[in-house]
Amino acid sequence: MFAKRSTVPKTLAIAAIGALALSACGGSDEPAAEESGLGLVAEGALTVCSDIPFAPFEYEEDGEYVGFDMDLMRAIATGMDLELEVVDVGFDGLASGAVLAAGQCDIGASAITITEERSENLAFTEPYYDSLQSLLVPVDSDVASIDDLAGESVGVQAGTTGETYTRENVPEDTEVVAFPSDAELYSALQAGNVAAILQDLPVNLVHTEDGTYTIAAEFETDEQYGFATTKDGSEDLLAAVNEQLAELRDNGEYDEIYNTYFSE
Amino acid sequence: MKRSTRRRLTRGALYAVFILAVVVIVSLADWGAIRSNFFDVDVAIQAFPEILTVAAKNTVLYTAIAFVGGLLLGLILALMKLSPVLPYRWAATAYIELFRGLPALLVIFGFAFAVPIAFGWRPPGGSAGAGLIALIIVSSAYIAETIRAGIEAVPPGQVEAARSLGMHPSWTMISVVLPQAFRIITPPLTNELVILIKDTSLLFIAGMALGDRELTTFARDMVSSSANATPLVLAALLYLIITLPLTQLVAKLERHNKRGR
Repeated sequence: MFAKRSTVPKTLAIAAIGALALSACGGSDEPAAEESGLGLVAEGALTVCSDIPFAPFEYEEDGEYVGFDMDLMRAIATGMDLELEVVDVGFDGLASGAVLAAGQCDIGASAITITEERSENLAFTEPYYDSLQSLLVPVDSDVASIDDLAGESVGVQAGTTGETYTRENVPEDTEVVAFPSDAELYSALQAGNVAAILQDLPVNLVHTEDGTYTIAAEFETDEQYGFATTKDGSEDLLAAVNEQLAELRDNGEYDEIYNTYFSE
Repeated sequence: MKRSTRRRLTRGALYAVFILAVVVIVSLADWGAIRSNFFDVDVAIQAFPEILTVAAKNTVLYTAIAFVGGLLLGLILALMKLSPVLPYRWAATAYIELFRGLPALLVIFGFAFAVPIAFGWRPPGGSAGAGLIALIIVSSAYIAETIRAGIEAVPPGQVEAARSLGMHPSWTMISVVLPQAFRIITPPLTNELVILIKDTSLLFIAGMALGDRELTTFARDMVSSSANATPLVLAALLYLIITLPLTQLVAKLERHNKRGR
């Protein structure tokens, strides 16, 4: 920008007034959640952040977000007399806690594995899903176990617990290639860039449907998913969501939703 | 009131408003939350030294490869576009329009995934290699246009003079036109280089082995595992540490060139 010298103070003044106006607006925008007492970002709604799509946990169908996480959240919101609002965010922002800290949503539901590191910065609900890891290979592949990956390359999702498990368990000369999401992982397997994919079982199961690929192995990693929220000031919300989760398990609704997505 | 006094007062008031605005914004921000989310010292320490020895190194390396490759291919394309032989011109124009019009991310995706599926051929160097070829292709399309503009900006008299001395057309291009053209296009080429540094962050879509990760991919992975956004801030700082001296250097070079003329 080549603002003429004399116009600089004017520009600054406009910027300053703009900034003042903005900060004035910010002041009136108090969290309007006195009614529920939960400190919700939008009154009357449970606002959920999720990295979509990640079938079968969250994906779009007929203009609505569905999937195991979404249906469960919808049931929880209903139990709390709230509407469900879904915000599609990147997993980075969600896992870092930034979108929650920034007040974009009340809670994160995005197949987030509860880990020690994450628990330091995020508050998790009771676990709602036990996750198995699995190895997806072409049906004619010789790879039948994780040890058969010696000298091969395996695709994983970057920054996930599946990646950690893979790196700790593959033979030394296996190349581990990380991709941003399942979309690129599956493309890479189709392209022959990787010999196998190691990630959460339900996601891999979706890829076995047309008979080209098969699950070569499943791994118990004692992983559990939890809904995540901010560490500070979320005690009431956590308690309320946990209460709903327990209720859904008691009245059988949890099993119903589970069987919708995970019955083989 | 004297006019100069009034002007001084107005200016004083403007400064005051500006400072007030800064103070208001600063005091409104929740610095504690910002510090714990974006400036966590422990997480930052954890990121070192790998963020330098792997991530920053790869960013610089990928940029260098893509830029040199783009420059060579761009030069060929520019000469093709200026060629009197029509098919060459058409081919260069089609290439430039195509790859300038596509987002780099899609081109990278295409080379990493679509090309192997379509032709059963995988670019060398694994995912990073495929991504780099895509970056070279994209950058060469932009650079070709820059070089062409530079060549056309060299006064025709220069060519006429060289030719009248009996110089061969190719040699005229190499020894007379191109050096002047590159001097003219130093600023836009720097721009291209800086854009390329940032475009290397798109390579993640192709899939990355641990040692192949550049700054953005490295930081994103770490954000996910540490549940903290500090690595992104670190990466941002490193990008600036790479780009700012570079642009300064080129500015210096440019001043030097101007004096030389």
